[in-house]
Amino acid sequence: MLREAGVILTVTLILALAAWLLRDPRLPLVADVGVYEFEIEHPLLTADEALRFYEEGSHLFIDTREPALEGMPHLPGAMQVRPARFDDDLRAIIDFIFPEDPLILYGDGLQATAAVAGRFTERGYEQVSLLGGGLRAWRKAGGPVEEPTGGTR
Amino acid sequence: MKFEWTRLPRPLIWLFALVVGGTFVVASLDKIANPVDFAQSTYRYRMLPAGLLHPFALFMPWLELTGGLALLWPALRRGAALLVGGMNFMFVVALGAALLRGLDISCGCFGAGGHGVDLSLIGRDVLMLIACVLVMVQRR
Repeated sequence: MLREAGVILTVTLILALAAWLLRDPRLPLVADVGVYEFEIEHPLLTADEALRFYEEGSHLFIDTREPALEGMPHLPGAMQVRPARFDDDLRAIIDFIFPEDPLILYGDGLQATAAVAGRFTERGYEQVSLLGGGLRAWRKAGGPVEEPTGGTR
Repeated sequence: MKFEWTRLPRPLIWLFALVVGGTFVVASLDKIANPVDFAQSTYRYRMLPAGLLHPFALFMPWLELTGGLALLWPALRRGAALLVGGMNFMFVVALGAALLRGLDISCGCFGAGGHGVDLSLIGRDVLMLIACVLVMVQRR
């Protein structure tokens, strides 16, 4: 029985390791629990809710992914604020974004996105939400996406 | 004829394996697809240190999948019952601890969200644990 369990554990370890290595973005092995605390205090928005806010024009959308926004599909009108360049990116859009503005953040996984959200709240932005499921969920909900070529669908 | 726990009818063992294995396979799929959501669900139990949270969230769903599938494979069944039973025991402890501490959280059993933690979930896991023990003690 122990040998059978050992075989199963070995196969599991290989599968889990392969899945982790192949996944993009890769989940960091050591968790930033501050991010999870943030998510508990700021429940995720569903794509349907975010789409409603988008259509009402009541919220600003922030893309937290690293590559330049023009080079990848993104929400039309989204502004880019990246974890590694938070101060520079925020400075670039500071005239368009005020602490009382409700923000919806999306990006490569909740960890990176929530890290940016935490920086926003430190700067006094009070209404910060995360888009659950990111751009994929947004597309699935029928939200418009601006393609790198400039087209929107 | 004398009843022996270690010699249960083969169809009954298959039924246990199908129900428990099937439950684990289904429970693993959303967690494998969304490890961050599973890590968040796990974090809410407040039982694991930060250093173990992500390795657990990456490994555990795969163990549910392989353990669940191996229950359906006679050659690996008893080893799988040991592992799946162990997971069930761990779930019972985690759910019980959450209840005792009054945590208002969803169980995360089948992925993010879902059923809130309550006694019925502990009952379900205890039943699956008993089924695993019965599979384990069968003589070949």
